[in-house]
Amino acid sequence: MNFADNCKEAILNGDIGLTEKLANKAISENIDINLAIDAFSLAIREAGDLFEEGEFFLPELMRSAEAMKAAMTIFEPILKEGKDDRILGKVVIGTIEGDIHDIGKTLVAALLSAEGFEVHDLGADVPISAFIDKAVEVDAQIICISALLTTTMVGQKKLINQLKEKKLRDKFKILIGGAPISKKWVKEIGADGSAENAVSSVKLAREVLGI
Amino acid sequence: MGSMLIDQGLEPGTPPEKWNASHPEKIQKIHLDYFNAGSDAVLTNTFGGSRMKLTAHKQGHSTEKYNQKAVKLAREICPENRFIAGDIGPSGAFLPPVGTVSVSDFEENFLEQAGYLADADIDFFFIETMFDLKEAETAVKAARSVSKIPVFASITFQKTKRGYFTIMGDTVLNCVKTLEKAGANVIGANCTIGSDEMIDLIPLISQETNLPILAKPNAGKPQLENGKTVYLTEPKPFAKDIEQIIKNGARVVGGCCGSNPEFIKEIAKQVKGE
Repeated sequence: MNFADNCKEAILNGDIGLTEKLANKAISENIDINLAIDAFSLAIREAGDLFEEGEFFLPELMRSAEAMKAAMTIFEPILKEGKDDRILGKVVIGTIEGDIHDIGKTLVAALLSAEGFEVHDLGADVPISAFIDKAVEVDAQIICISALLTTTMVGQKKLINQLKEKKLRDKFKILIGGAPISKKWVKEIGADGSAENAVSSVKLAREVLGI
Repeated sequence: MGSMLIDQGLEPGTPPEKWNASHPEKIQKIHLDYFNAGSDAVLTNTFGGSRMKLTAHKQGHSTEKYNQKAVKLAREICPENRFIAGDIGPSGAFLPPVGTVSVSDFEENFLEQAGYLADADIDFFFIETMFDLKEAETAVKAARSVSKIPVFASITFQKTKRGYFTIMGDTVLNCVKTLEKAGANVIGANCTIGSDEMIDLIPLISQETNLPILAKPNAGKPQLENGKTVYLTEPKPFAKDIEQIIKNGARVVGGCCGSNPEFIKEIAKQVKGE
């Protein structure tokens, strides 16, 4: 197996130790780290596909995402040096106030982060103001708001309205998620999109940023 | 219970269990509606009544009170020869790698809630909507250890291309065997899937155990229309599915999300001829 295949297998097996070893090897042996990152990315996408197919379940997907994150942490100092800036964008994510469901949101955060986004996960039961403050503070491009309850979904609308009042709406792309979310709701509240599941949310995030 | 409380004005962010103390008459009315519709047993309003779950709503300090009140409210209006089930739902937390809690956190959590429910005089435990077999097993063992009353244990399965699994990947076989060993007296499935998809799940459970089987499906998949959640399965077709579910081996049946006393009335009509 070549280096890229090893990288892929390490992620699919959710093997954090091996992934870290490979990441460090790429650095110490002067292998182009983009080769490793591309292989890791391919693997995480495959993990996502396997999840959709019912071959992977939550623990496997989370392990793969964690392994990918571990590798990206090792590469981060190099990526930040400049030339190879692979941070795709900054995302602020959380579950809206009044709602403590955070499994879907956590999954999206893990996959976005694995893909190369800088993710600021605010957790669950997050006040609207906290979303906006954080997004302004880190100069985010995307705000992801999760709501699992039909009663808390209205918080997504409120957040968008507050952004409009503060004349900040155009600064951010707003993606919304949660079991009860429909395309109709996205349109009704003027969000920028919603994805069917955590895997497609990564594609969507790239899409809204045009990358 | 939960969706009915929301209809009656339960605010987002407020745990339903809080209403055991603040709106006792509404809780009792719902129980009464179910008994009148033909329910043999009602579930206490304690689905999210464990300390871990209540703590997420900053109400952990009221764990004992909410559980005691819930049983008292149901007991006060329970007709003769009907039953009260102490409802226990998931803690809301996850074991690694998804979350950070441990099995002993689960143990402590469920021992406490099961203890309050048993002391308050329930007829049996109803552990439901469990998506992680390890958590379900821990809850069953906890209930078993605090009391000799029956323990009903219900897992929530999703239907994948490869069959029925929990979101953590537990198989039907593994769930049934593990829960039986843990001391459950009745085993089954609830939530996530609608009555139509539960029809084929029941035989998979019944072929693995001689224990009685329970089935409590949703009234179809939730859809959003004009900002309101609607469940598309009507009471009559739901009851028809339940009839098939019983033929397939279920002995205990009911309705989960999107159902209401109307659904129970239809089921009672079909199965008891009421």
